[in-house]
Amino acid sequence: MAQPLTKEGPDPETRRVAPLPPVLRGFLWAAIGFIVFAALAAWLDPSRVSPYITAVGAVAGWFGAMIGWLLGIGGYEHVVKPMMGYPSPAVRTSGWRRYYEYALDHKVIGIQYLGASTGTFLIAGLIAMAMRFQLMSYRPTLFHYPQNYLNAVGIHGTLMMFTVATVAMVGGLGNYFVPLMIGTRETMFPKASGMSVWLVPLGVLTVAMSPLLGQWTTGWRGYEPLASSDGSGLLYYYLGVFALTTSSLIVAINLTATILFKRTRGMTWNRLPLFAWGILTVSLLNIIWLPEIQTTFVLGMLDKVMPLNLFNVFGQPLGYEYLFWLFGHPEVYIVVLPALAIWSEIIPVMGRKSLFARPIAVLGLVFVMLLSGMVWAHHMFTMMRFSEMLPFSFFTEMISIPTGFAYLAVIGTLWNSRLRLTTPTLLVLMSMFNFLIGGLTGLFLADVPANLQLHNTFFVVGHFHYTIIGGMVFSWMAAMYYWLPKFSGRTYSEFWGKLGAIWVFVAFNATFLNFFILGLHGMNRWVSVYPKYLQPENFWTSIAAFFLGAGFAINIIHIVWAWMKGPKVKENPWDAKTLEWRTSSPPPTKNFDTLPVVVGSFYTYGEGVPDPVEIPVSEMETKGSPG
Amino acid sequence: MGSLVVFGILWIVGSLLGEWGATAWIDSAPNGTGPYFGTASNLGLVGVHAFDFLIWVAVPIFVFVVLMILFAMFKFRARRDENVTNAPSQVRNNKAFVGTWIVISILLNLLIWLHPNASGLEQVFAAQLPANNPKPVVIDVTARQWEWIFSYPQYHITQSLNASGQDTLYMPVNRPVKFVLRSYDPFHSYAHQVDVIHGFWIPAFGVKYDVIPGETRILYLTATKLMSTETNPMARVQCSEVCGPGHPYMEANLHVVTGSQFAAWAKAQAARG
Repeated sequence: MAQPLTKEGPDPETRRVAPLPPVLRGFLWAAIGFIVFAALAAWLDPSRVSPYITAVGAVAGWFGAMIGWLLGIGGYEHVVKPMMGYPSPAVRTSGWRRYYEYALDHKVIGIQYLGASTGTFLIAGLIAMAMRFQLMSYRPTLFHYPQNYLNAVGIHGTLMMFTVATVAMVGGLGNYFVPLMIGTRETMFPKASGMSVWLVPLGVLTVAMSPLLGQWTTGWRGYEPLASSDGSGLLYYYLGVFALTTSSLIVAINLTATILFKRTRGMTWNRLPLFAWGILTVSLLNIIWLPEIQTTFVLGMLDKVMPLNLFNVFGQPLGYEYLFWLFGHPEVYIVVLPALAIWSEIIPVMGRKSLFARPIAVLGLVFVMLLSGMVWAHHMFTMMRFSEMLPFSFFTEMISIPTGFAYLAVIGTLWNSRLRLTTPTLLVLMSMFNFLIGGLTGLFLADVPANLQLHNTFFVVGHFHYTIIGGMVFSWMAAMYYWLPKFSGRTYSEFWGKLGAIWVFVAFNATFLNFFILGLHGMNRWVSVYPKYLQPENFWTSIAAFFLGAGFAINIIHIVWAWMKGPKVKENPWDAKTLEWRTSSPPPTKNFDTLPVVVGSFYTYGEGVPDPVEIPVSEMETKGSPG
Repeated sequence: MGSLVVFGILWIVGSLLGEWGATAWIDSAPNGTGPYFGTASNLGLVGVHAFDFLIWVAVPIFVFVVLMILFAMFKFRARRDENVTNAPSQVRNNKAFVGTWIVISILLNLLIWLHPNASGLEQVFAAQLPANNPKPVVIDVTARQWEWIFSYPQYHITQSLNASGQDTLYMPVNRPVKFVLRSYDPFHSYAHQVDVIHGFWIPAFGVKYDVIPGETRILYLTATKLMSTETNPMARVQCSEVCGPGHPYMEANLHVVTGSQFAAWAKAQAARG
């Protein structure tokens, strides 16, 4: 039952029999798996048109590649062989190589997720730069055919949603910090967690390489019935998203179980840190909705390969759209809930003030989670029956009430605080500003008569970039600067941190405020060419977008520099109270020498407030732990 | 208490200034169409009224939060070389503030759902009743990959084309038009597997309605302004739902003309066959 994080055993260098580093071996075995499975498919289902690569073969080959990749990366030694009675080999616990192999330590896995998200953020961001370059002119320049451009849009959206927005703060920060914050030494299912992270690079490569199989033009939503007649690359969109969502699903199950069962003594629900609440609500959303979208994508894929006529005139042309948004709207709350939780985590620490109305802040997260499944069809006002418009606009308006609770708690905390205006603080305040614009423009979109004009224009594109970049990415950056001393024991330069924050804030608003105006002027989505009168505005939007891209690069370089070479800093530089700061930085493999006991609230400040944490002196605590 | 009064005054002043600026923006074009543009139809006017009303609702909320952020940054900021000290006030709850916040946010949401949303929808629904659209011009709109085809059964026009052979939409001003929206390809035998969703959108009219394969959807609309694509590029038919590689090019020119001009045009088109 117990899953030790480390084992006394031979040195990893000498025990290694594999001739290749795991990542390279994964690639090799993936190639073998692809060839074997694709050949099997070609043998069982020969095509008269193509001797080897067929739609069926590409799908079968992908599953072979997935199996080969997961086995090659370490699943063979660490999962399959132990199942057959062989002893589990040790995992590397130090050195940079541990990030490129199978790991059991939730902190290593968290950093693996963060690295994958950041790398994908760069790839999808470069695609966005290419899109903005194209849109500087009203005629084709960079993308000579619209399908090239539309395929870029689809890859940009898919990667950003499924690898960055839903992963960075959950698989990344959640895996790293939730066990530390609730006072445990490991997560509930470390083996599954160690495998799940390797589905991310597989999913990213699958989606990014999908045009090789045939260009697709549907954007990230894969709308039917277009999808069934669109390029075969959509098969790899379905499969890539399948890998990415499976990864997120394992994270959700693992972190939910960890929060439910592995909290340290005294960590009652009323004392659970806000970030853990955020991750818990997000994970419940993921557990409910990710299987739903996976089922939908399986139907879409079967429909494309067979075809089954599920989503065309012989079936239900709007069926896919309803199924997609049934997941798709909870998805945006999956993105933003950890961000809202981070605000309540950082502001009390920086303001030296007790968190205001904590129960309301938690209730806000919970009610957003509950309501998020009732608003989805507002993406389809131009498609639906009149009778559906009133209920869906009602719930859409109503979800702003619990979302507002996040603002209520932070604003109440800010009032009369002693706010230290550090880079994380600044980024949280910027995130509040951006998400406010995202929320207020949502009022216009939730209004059905106005929606009939604004739907599928750049107004909508501006709106969701304000919520996702403005809300989530800014909060992610705030969290990275806030926890940087925890990750590495080093800190960032306050000058470069603030410069980077102000840079992205200005460039972000200069870019995306223009989107609202463009949308009102009649700029629609998914166009690489557009009427000439929109060119001047698009041109300046693109210039701002390039500054935004440079701003993100500056922040990433700065964070990486600070992580590696930044000035050393004391253990708890912000004087925060939550448990992750009660161990050394970076934390040891087993997190805590002695598991802390919680005796009070982490969010209460003031004169004479006792320390919320007690470190037991008895030996009992250490004996119970493995190793 | 002092900060509260200052905040209250600044909020009221900021909101009033904001409302003044928003109103100036809204009134910078006739009929409150300043920021909205798509207002040249009866349905577009419903949309613009909703849009303007929501701007007025949004301004005080925006000013409240932004002012709070500015207060945090300047008024409540810890001095640079001060040692880390706890804030003097450690209020963890304020029933009056929380209660007011929750009540106002519920009321505000109910308000904007009822008006402009439900009230506007009532107008939209009423505008779609055949009884409210006497003697409409019937225009069959056919969407295919990637072309808009307009035919006028009452005038025996099977495909309305301009001099260079491009599809064109002509409609009379101030007279109800019944768009019959379908997605299929009249030039080929029907291929169900390549029939896709399109979006029938005229940006200047402030309304769009999707065209679904296998369904016939009706949109009643009355244009309220004389316009053409040549004079106003927003007066165009544009596909608003991604429908494949040709989607960006799926547009057609629009002419809103007087009744007599429309009759003359229809006669000439019908004569062309």
